[in-house]
Parts: sequence; structure tokens; C-alpha cells
Amino acid sequence: MSPKKTVKRSFRNAKWFKALIAGLWQDNPTFCMVLGLCSMLAITNRMDNAIAMGLGVTFCIVFSSLLVSLFRNVIPSRVRMLAYMVIIATFVICVDRFLKAYFPPISEELGPYVGLIITNCIIMGRAETYAIKNGPLLSALDGLGCGIGYTFMLILMAFVRETIGFGTLLGYRVMPGSWVNWVVMTIAPGAFFLLGVYLWIFRTIAKKTEA
Amino acid sequence: MKALKIILFVLVMGTVSSVMLVGVNSFTQPLIFKNEEVKLKSAVLGALEITYETGSALAIFNDKVRVLDAGKTEFFISRDGAAAFEFYGPGLWGPISGVASINPDLKSIKAIKIVSQEETPGLGGRIAEHGFLKQFRGKEFFPRLVFMPEGKSSAVNEVDAITGATGSSRALERLLNSVLQKNAGILKEQLNNR
Repeated sequence: MSPKKTVKRSFRNAKWFKALIAGLWQDNPTFCMVLGLCSMLAITNRMDNAIAMGLGVTFCIVFSSLLVSLFRNVIPSRVRMLAYMVIIATFVICVDRFLKAYFPPISEELGPYVGLIITNCIIMGRAETYAIKNGPLLSALDGLGCGIGYTFMLILMAFVRETIGFGTLLGYRVMPGSWVNWVVMTIAPGAFFLLGVYLWIFRTIAKKTEA
Repeated sequence: MKALKIILFVLVMGTVSSVMLVGVNSFTQPLIFKNEEVKLKSAVLGALEITYETGSALAIFNDKVRVLDAGKTEFFISRDGAAAFEFYGPGLWGPISGVASINPDLKSIKAIKIVSQEETPGLGGRIAEHGFLKQFRGKEFFPRLVFMPEGKSSAVNEVDAITGATGSSRALERLLNSVLQKNAGILKEQLNNR
């Protein structure tokens, strides 16, 4: 009944929990690994776009990590990149068709960026650094953590950009009628400034907790 | 032997993923076609100023709009004789597409709707806004439609351009002039032949 044993039993130290939580904070794809920024700058101008994109990317990461991990002993190492690409592309096309069929307005707003999830480094990165070496359950959880971490940043960006760029939130007017929209926030340069500010804030906090 | 194994692996993987995608495609294709049809028909109803509700666009379209196929162009003619057609052409940064409608006199505009455009948000992007597009109502496009500096338009063939978006305004001016005059001519011929 020593305190050490209770710590061991706690889920906080379990492998699956660590895999899941890594992507949320200390290995967050955006402000720690700084990956997947292209789509982040492009589609965070509105909240609904950000949520759709976040869900799409999360879906693709979870399932491509799961498949890569399941077949990690079958995939010949010389063509592993090719295998990642085919697996990722399959899921991305599924997401694209799904959005086109059931949510045409969102699909139109996101435009080519749904297809470009294929080139999102986060997915490829998780496949190469994690899924190819770990079991399917852990890989899927790791992917889920990264996907949620990415979605979280997308939502934070979209929250500020839509509020001050369009004066709305999820399409509902939140700013007073006299509010003058900051057009710069709706285009990519505004997103760059905002992303810089967020990176600054999060890196400062992270440094303190890491030390 | 090793190379053979790799080739086999790639072949099998490619086949499996293709089969999956064909399945997804055959499932979603009809829905996607229907979405596109609804989008076009809603835009046409908008340009002809026929009121509709989100779910009922197709039924109202079939009830109130006659389609006249003139080879390359399709005209959508409402009961009061106004005709709408799609237009498509280059903007400043990317393609502009939309639906325009003309009055039964075949000389003046009824309404213009922009369906998609990629102009600068907040500047050229304003070509898609209602406030800009409503000034086209009743404007004549013979001899040609002229975009004037903002606030200077007075004649029946003049509209205000957008300050700060000269490129987009010019592109739209050129596009509308070519498409309106050409389509009015085609439509006149078609109607005379009947």
C-alpha cells in the first residue's frame, strides 16, 4: 500500500492515456511540431469551416494511423511512404465525397483544402513516427489526440478571426451593429499574425511547464 | 524475389483502395449531382426573382421556368418572359461565374447573381454583394454597359464600379458586356424562329 503503487495504477500513467494526451499539449501538432499550417491559415476564417476541417483531419489521422499500424509488419520498408500516401488518400477522398454529398455549402467554402488534407504533414508525420512502430490501439489513440489538438487550434483561430473579421460567430451576429469588420483577419495575412500571437502565448506557457 | 514481393504488395494495396473508392463514389455520386442541380436551379430562380424556400427549389423551378436549349447556351425563361442564363469568365484572380437575367425587351438587365468568385475579400469580393448587384436592375447593355467611378453613374447604361477594386470591376465589366450582348442576340434569333 505504498504511494508508489497507487501512482502506477492510476490511468494518468497508463500507456494509452499518454499516447492520447501527447497530441493535446506537449506534442501538439500546431504549436509544438508546427505542422499543417497551410490549411490552418486558409480555412480558419469561419468557425463552421474550422470544425468541419478539424473533424475531417481527425478522421483521416485516426484511420490512417490505425491501418498503417495494423499492416506495419506487412508493409515493405522501401515502399512505406507510398503505402502511407495510398492509405491517407483513400480516407481523404472519402471525407471529400462525404462533405460534397451531405454538406455542399461547407464543401464549397473549403474548396480544394479538403483534398489537400492528403498533404497535411501531421497525418504523414504520425504514420512515420508513431504508427509504424506501435500497436493499432495506441496508434489510433495517438492519432485521435493529435487530431483533437489540431482541431482545438483551428477553433481558437476561427473564434478570433470570425468574430473580428466578419462580426459573427457560427453565422450569428455577435458584434454590435456599429462594428467595422477587420478585413485583414478574413484573409491569410491576418491568420499569420494571429497564429504568431498564439504560438508566442503557448510556447511561453509550455516553457514554464516543461522547466 | 524481394522486388516481386514489393510489386505484389503495391498492386494489392492499390486494388483494394480503388475498390473501396469506387464503392464510396457510386454511393455519393447521385447525391452530389442532385446538390449541383439544386444549386444551379436556386441561382436561376434567384436571378428571375421567383421566391422559393430552401427545400422547394426544384419543384418551383419545374413549375415556373421553361428551359430553352439553344445549342451551347441554355436559357431559363420565366412566365413573364424574362430569360436567365449562366455566365462564366475570368476575373482578376480567378474565374467568376454566375447567373444573369434579362427583361423581355432583351435590352435591359433584370438581375445579376454571382455564384462563385475568387476576388480579394472585402475589395473585389464585393462584386458578389447584394448592395453592388442591385444597381444593375433595369440597366441597358446596348451599345454597352459602362462601369463608372463610384458615385458618378447617371445614364441608363452606367453603374458604379468598386473603388479600390479596379481590376475586378474591369474584369466583370468585360465579362458582362460580352455575355449579355451575345446571349441577347442568340435568344432573339431563337424566339424569332419559333
